[in-house]
Amino acid sequence: MNQTRPALTWSLIAIVGFLTLCPVLMLLLGSFSQGLTAFGSFTLSKYVSAYTDPFLMEVTFNTVVFVLGSSIFSTVLAVFLAYLNTRTNIPFKPAFTVLSIVPMMIPHLLFSVSWALLLNPSNGLINLVLKDFLGLETAPFNIYSLWGMILVEGLLNMPIAYLIIAPAMASFDVSLEESSRVFGAGVWRTLMRVTLPVLRPAILAAFVLGIVRSLASYAVPRVLGMPGRVDVLATYLYEMISTGFAPDYGKAAALGMSVLSASIALIVVYRALTSESGKFVTISSRGFKPTVIELKRARTPLFIIVALLCLLMIVLPVAVLLYTSFTPYSMVPSARAFSMMSWKNWVEVLNDPVSVLALKNSLLLAVVGATLGVLLSLFVAYVIVKIRTRAAALLESLSFLSFSFPGIVIGIGFMWFFVQTPLYSTLTALLLAYIAAYLPYGIRPLASAFVQVHSHLEESSLVCGASPMTTMRRVIVPLLIPGVVSAWILMATMFVRELTVSVVLSRPGTEVLAVQILSFADDGLWGKLSALGIIMIIISTALVLLAQYAGNRLKMQQST
Amino acid sequence: MEIRIEGLCKHYVSEGKTVKALDHVDLTIPANEIFTLLGPSGCGKTTLLRCIVGLETPDDGEISIGGEIVWSRAKGIAVPTEKRGLGMVFQTYAIWPHMSVFDNIAYPLQIRGDRKEAIREKVARALQFVQLEGVEQRSATRLSGGQQQRVALARALVAEPKVILFDEPLSNLDAKLREETRKELRRFMGELNITAIYVTHDRVEALALSDTIAVMRSGHIVEKGSPQQIYFDAEHRFVADFIGRANQVEAVVSENLNGLTMVQTGMGLIQCRKRDLAVGSKATLCIRPEFIRITSRDHSEGQNVMQGTIESLEFVGEVYEADIVVGQERLLARIEPDVKLRQGEQVSFTLDPEYCMLLSV
Repeated sequence: MNQTRPALTWSLIAIVGFLTLCPVLMLLLGSFSQGLTAFGSFTLSKYVSAYTDPFLMEVTFNTVVFVLGSSIFSTVLAVFLAYLNTRTNIPFKPAFTVLSIVPMMIPHLLFSVSWALLLNPSNGLINLVLKDFLGLETAPFNIYSLWGMILVEGLLNMPIAYLIIAPAMASFDVSLEESSRVFGAGVWRTLMRVTLPVLRPAILAAFVLGIVRSLASYAVPRVLGMPGRVDVLATYLYEMISTGFAPDYGKAAALGMSVLSASIALIVVYRALTSESGKFVTISSRGFKPTVIELKRARTPLFIIVALLCLLMIVLPVAVLLYTSFTPYSMVPSARAFSMMSWKNWVEVLNDPVSVLALKNSLLLAVVGATLGVLLSLFVAYVIVKIRTRAAALLESLSFLSFSFPGIVIGIGFMWFFVQTPLYSTLTALLLAYIAAYLPYGIRPLASAFVQVHSHLEESSLVCGASPMTTMRRVIVPLLIPGVVSAWILMATMFVRELTVSVVLSRPGTEVLAVQILSFADDGLWGKLSALGIIMIIISTALVLLAQYAGNRLKMQQST
Repeated sequence: MEIRIEGLCKHYVSEGKTVKALDHVDLTIPANEIFTLLGPSGCGKTTLLRCIVGLETPDDGEISIGGEIVWSRAKGIAVPTEKRGLGMVFQTYAIWPHMSVFDNIAYPLQIRGDRKEAIREKVARALQFVQLEGVEQRSATRLSGGQQQRVALARALVAEPKVILFDEPLSNLDAKLREETRKELRRFMGELNITAIYVTHDRVEALALSDTIAVMRSGHIVEKGSPQQIYFDAEHRFVADFIGRANQVEAVVSENLNGLTMVQTGMGLIQCRKRDLAVGSKATLCIRPEFIRITSRDHSEGQNVMQGTIESLEFVGEVYEADIVVGQERLLARIEPDVKLRQGEQVSFTLDPEYCMLLSV
């Protein structure tokens, strides 16, 4: 079907363009303005003060170490796990799938908090246990450090790297390795000279995405960096707009421009890398199953490492939050601690008007936001996949752009915009900003759903005599439903836990869950925090499980 | 270099069932020959090749290459693939996409630790041999399928291995290119004087390239011989049927006479190529379609002259393919296009006794 639908395409470009470019443009204009209330009066002074701040050197250094360190850590870990899962006879392979969806269930904020509860230097549970056990004077670990931040951020980004690298490794043509063996290279030399170089585009893509995500990361530096006075750009930007009585949105915008440009440049590199990975596709092997590498004696130790990782990433974080939510204050698990357990924190949280309001707001934003977001994504995905004009290509680039936006920076951009409108300090402001920041998460699953609706399916329905409306109802919609369901749930999950945009835009009356959890953390109310956090994890997990269940059921329906 | 295989076994478990890919295979592959393993898919030929090269570990038996045992269960020997010093051309060519043509071909030499000048010289010679000069610095994946195939061959040859193995190397090429490449491969191998093991399921490839063919079925070597022996004088029905199209007719041996064996069939008495079979025993008469010669109707002299009715006639380009009904039998015949025939017509034809093969049932 040769439809161009220029009206639809251009109105979508207008909407998506507004959502993605408005914060960028406002950030740019704001960076040259005197202040939120003096918008438009031109000045360069904000750039001067932002880039001559002596503290910036240290912040930049911390950021580079944090970003590179966590990206290297997550990529190496992902390569290691992907290799174990796809190429060796390691036992309990389903564990790898679980590991890869964990961050969907445990939000970054709570993951960071749980690690603070375990490893903080004054009363972290592991530290207390080790001190008792080994008779140490001081705590052996301090999570409030650059190393702690790198560890936690790396663990959080590992699944994303894994989801990029594992499929590349699984579709790898094994005869490339076999031929290297035949020509005299051993297992190790083959790995270094053939396997890893062939996978280089996928590994690099995972690494670059890790950089983008850790540069935008706010939860980890906020929870683990600020107590130890380790600032990175994200927290430094936030301090500019929140500290004391003189928030400087102009200076924040001026510095934010650099972070934004860096992110956009990185996402361009990422897209180039992922499109290049197609270049390395050779004639693929049919027939022979890939040889599974026998781990022999290394099997048990390697499995223990994976099991330990599962413990670190799933069991410990949830367990420590649950434990803390029932205890009155930090104490090592003991008979006495268990005897003092009560529902007190839970009762207090559920009676706390702000927490209840935050819960309500978050759920409202998730339901309304996901519904509107999916509706918009549906049209955008349709135009991107089915209409091949230059305007459609523009729409695609535009919609992918916000994928790179660091939440803090985009929040600051929106702040400049909303202050000029009556939307300031309303839930609608949060709603718009959420949809703008997370649009790619809706478009992606829907675009792949549209790809599956091959135009022949549509055309054959028309040839059979069905009208376009009937075709839509009987053919297209049923094929799209799985994509719609997964996009909705993905967006809802993102919105329930949203922190980085909310932390800038949320005001009294428009609190959301993550912001409320953060304020408990600032006040040191770990018990209440844990109770509210567990509620948040239950909501996210329920949504993820629902998505898996719905996906499986729809697949079964279609196959029968 | 001679390859000896004794009592080789390998089984797989797939979907709860045990599949015997190799079932006590004994085989000697003579030195400096092109030796082909031919058989339908799943017959174990690729498994056998992969056991020889060491990419697959057998369950039992022994493999020796040039007198050196490379794998033996009884003696506990297992030389790893990389220490066997072989060359191989893979079905997918396995050209490394991240390396140039030069680096792909130089790889075996680089691994061995040859000097740079020696490597450059040897790679140049290998490229010249496969007629691919001047593409050294190109990315290997930018080459056409046929060119990639030659790079794979050059890489297999460059380190002058004792034995070179081919795993269906032509199956990824389109029909026309496959024919050209087959002829080239034949010429290359003729010049080289090397032991080659070639795995294929394509009978034409096997016939055209080999000095010796071994036909395999469900983990066994059924028959071994020169291409002519296999085609004209197979001993097993399966081999005769697999190597080319054949009419198979049930027969009973009636007598041995003048260096020919006479059999009684549903088409009458037929004189066949001599085979030592007891009078009265059952056999299968095998006639290839191209050896059924149409003669003029009144001509009735000579050996094995028969009459039949053309039941169907199909024009397939270079010939007509006809189903001829004779008595209770139906024969497939290939008839020259200049012979004027129509469906339903009566025809006479002769069968040269030299090409009437008798197979034990």
